[in-house]
Amino acid sequence: MSAHPGGPPTAVPGTRSRPARRLARTVTVVASCLALLAAAVVVGVRALGQEPTVTLLANWTGEDEQHFRRAVIEPFERKYHIHVDYQGSNAESQVLGADVEAGTPPDVVVLTGPGELAEYARQKHLVALDQLVRREDFGTSWATPLADGHVYWFPLKADLKSIVWYPADVGGRQLGQAVHRPDRWCLGMGSGATSGWPGTDWIEDILLQRYGPDVYERWVRGDLSWRSKQVKEAWTVWRDLVGAGGDPELVRRALKTPYRSASEPVAATPRGCMLEHQASFIRNQPAWQHADGRYVPSAQLIFGAPAPRAWEVSGDLVALLHDTPQAKKLIGHLASADAQRAWTAEESGFSVHAGVEPASGGAAAWHRSLALALRDKRTPHCFDASDSMPPAVRDAFAEATIEFLAHPDHLDALLRSLDTLSATRGLTWLPSVCDGTS
Amino acid sequence: MNTPSGAHPGQLPGHGPASVPRPGGRPADRRAPGRWSRRLGVLLDRLSGAGPGPGEGGSTTARDLAVRHRLLLALSALLTLSLFVSYQGVHDDVNPLRTSSAPAVLSLDTALYALGQAQRDAGAPAPTSDFQKQISVAAQSLAAAAADDDIGGPAGRQALQTVAGLITVYSVKVQQSQLQPDGSVLREAYLSYATSILTEKGSGIQARLTALQRQQRAAVNRQTSFGPLLWSAWSATLLLTLALTAALLETQRFLRHRFRRRYNRQLLAATVVSLAGVGIAVLFTVWTHQGMADTRTLLDRPLPGRQIPDAGRRTASYLADTGFRAAAAVWILIGGVLLMALAETGLRRHIDDYRFRPR
Repeated sequence: MSAHPGGPPTAVPGTRSRPARRLARTVTVVASCLALLAAAVVVGVRALGQEPTVTLLANWTGEDEQHFRRAVIEPFERKYHIHVDYQGSNAESQVLGADVEAGTPPDVVVLTGPGELAEYARQKHLVALDQLVRREDFGTSWATPLADGHVYWFPLKADLKSIVWYPADVGGRQLGQAVHRPDRWCLGMGSGATSGWPGTDWIEDILLQRYGPDVYERWVRGDLSWRSKQVKEAWTVWRDLVGAGGDPELVRRALKTPYRSASEPVAATPRGCMLEHQASFIRNQPAWQHADGRYVPSAQLIFGAPAPRAWEVSGDLVALLHDTPQAKKLIGHLASADAQRAWTAEESGFSVHAGVEPASGGAAAWHRSLALALRDKRTPHCFDASDSMPPAVRDAFAEATIEFLAHPDHLDALLRSLDTLSATRGLTWLPSVCDGTS
Repeated sequence: MNTPSGAHPGQLPGHGPASVPRPGGRPADRRAPGRWSRRLGVLLDRLSGAGPGPGEGGSTTARDLAVRHRLLLALSALLTLSLFVSYQGVHDDVNPLRTSSAPAVLSLDTALYALGQAQRDAGAPAPTSDFQKQISVAAQSLAAAAADDDIGGPAGRQALQTVAGLITVYSVKVQQSQLQPDGSVLREAYLSYATSILTEKGSGIQARLTALQRQQRAAVNRQTSFGPLLWSAWSATLLLTLALTAALLETQRFLRHRFRRRYNRQLLAATVVSLAGVGIAVLFTVWTHQGMADTRTLLDRPLPGRQIPDAGRRTASYLADTGFRAAAAVWILIGGVLLMALAETGLRRHIDDYRFRPR
């Protein structure tokens, strides 16, 4: 039955008028737009929240960290749109150890110790870099292949260690007199978790300059006893130079002063100390900048040798723990000449990358000569001994230097302990740490 | 096809010129809408772009029904969406706040306080159990903070692991100092190394924990803030509620005018569902936000050690029942479906009456 039989033809119920259709269309379009907008916002927010990330652990903190971020990390983030979560700590070894044990290590790590890295490589925690880094970009003394033939690390930054810094206004005669006065040496053993390493550098360099790279390498391989005549003499020479066990105030100052602050008396009036046996990076400290620090090879100043028998060097070594695509990209970036050059550009360190010029024309003379010394092919380069030793031995060595500085009469006991520790089974020793030696 | 309940056979149910009351007119005419309803009807016509109805003798009922049908469905859908988004905007952050950010702030407060106490005990002449106890408290607090999913993502977790490693080193250095004779230079030296690990500017344990705490407090502030977006969403929701209620009432009057039914029960139910639903959602949101705001006020400043357990209890009480209220969001969607179903069934039979009507 029809509701409106005979109804007018112009207003038939059940037919849709054009305006009604238009409204329906409008409502549908608006609702669809709102739904699309909401979906786009949700997807967009999630996409932004899932920016690819790579985690990086290194030992740079403070200004070094800022510079590293500015010169190396930020260009990488801009270029690849990958966020780098950087963690810097001077207790890096302990932090990395805990992370690895917990099963959550960072993707990439920058460590100073090839000995520690070799241990991680032996435990299969490291990824070989043969496909990511060209061996010819770094010498074998820097990117050392392990027994399995693979390369697991490369240097991002290198430093020269067999040197002594002094103010530019100090003459040769004054230098010669100062060498044998303990109060003239600037020494700071403090470095938080790694306190004591400035002492290990001293003993390593004395041994290297006194007995040459062959003896040094035997010692670092664990083949030379800590109680050997050579090693023991290195300790006693250091004792005499810095006055270990002598003036209590001097010893107290050396033990408690952070290594970064050791050079502050150089810029004080009257000048406190004037010589510092320290790696090239210390030249960036304000005191040495103020004093226009110059360097002399330690072999020349301490032992009167015409030239060093070898250069002791150290490096910040990059290794890969997770081969994610982002981490591989970061490795590629860190191994590139551009990233390596960024360090050299601001005099924060030295690159040993084959594609990076040793020093630009505008660099200071001391900077150019340090850069050239790092690539000096006539003189062997030996990697920092303690950094090359197994981590347990390295840490015990650093602790021993602290105790020795206060109690040099404990030397025999300290060396006996180090020998016992070195004889522990299961430690990983590097086969070679010097170039140009067999 | 059924005869519409409010229309006389042979007569044209109409609107506009066709529905001008006449003496002795039809029942529909006697129930002609009042001024308010007429105005709304005109407004709806204008909104729909319908303009004046068909000419003398024409029927607009089918079109009017269709317009109201679509409008009610669209408003119901928009209100549902808007209410859901607004409600979720507040309640989405409740669980992260309750289970992650707020406990993390308290854990970091606890760790900082315990480390401060430990440093005080580190200088004691002989090793004390208090030092070990404080180190354990700090380590456990960090472990609790690290267990939270939202402690700043991978960077936050990595930072916490770094701090945990540093605390171990700090503890070892303090123990080394305590093994040396009182007053010896080595004791001083080891204690100075420990102190630098704890207090070094920028990279010491305290600096790192303070930075993490700052991040967590910022997260708490973000989660508990009722910002412009939420104000806009809730304003839109309330406007849509008003619009839907007005449309439902107008449709109710329209149907009463055109058809012989005092109430359309489905539309009446839809009105009740929409108003009750929005009312409950607003109430739940006010309670939840009050709890969140109280939590923020409580956590906005560093807490002394003795107040931390009390703050934990108060935070738990502020945020009690918020989990239930957050889970209630799904009922908004169910209510929205119900609302649209009621609007659909309320108008469908009238619309069907006017479908495929022969000329």
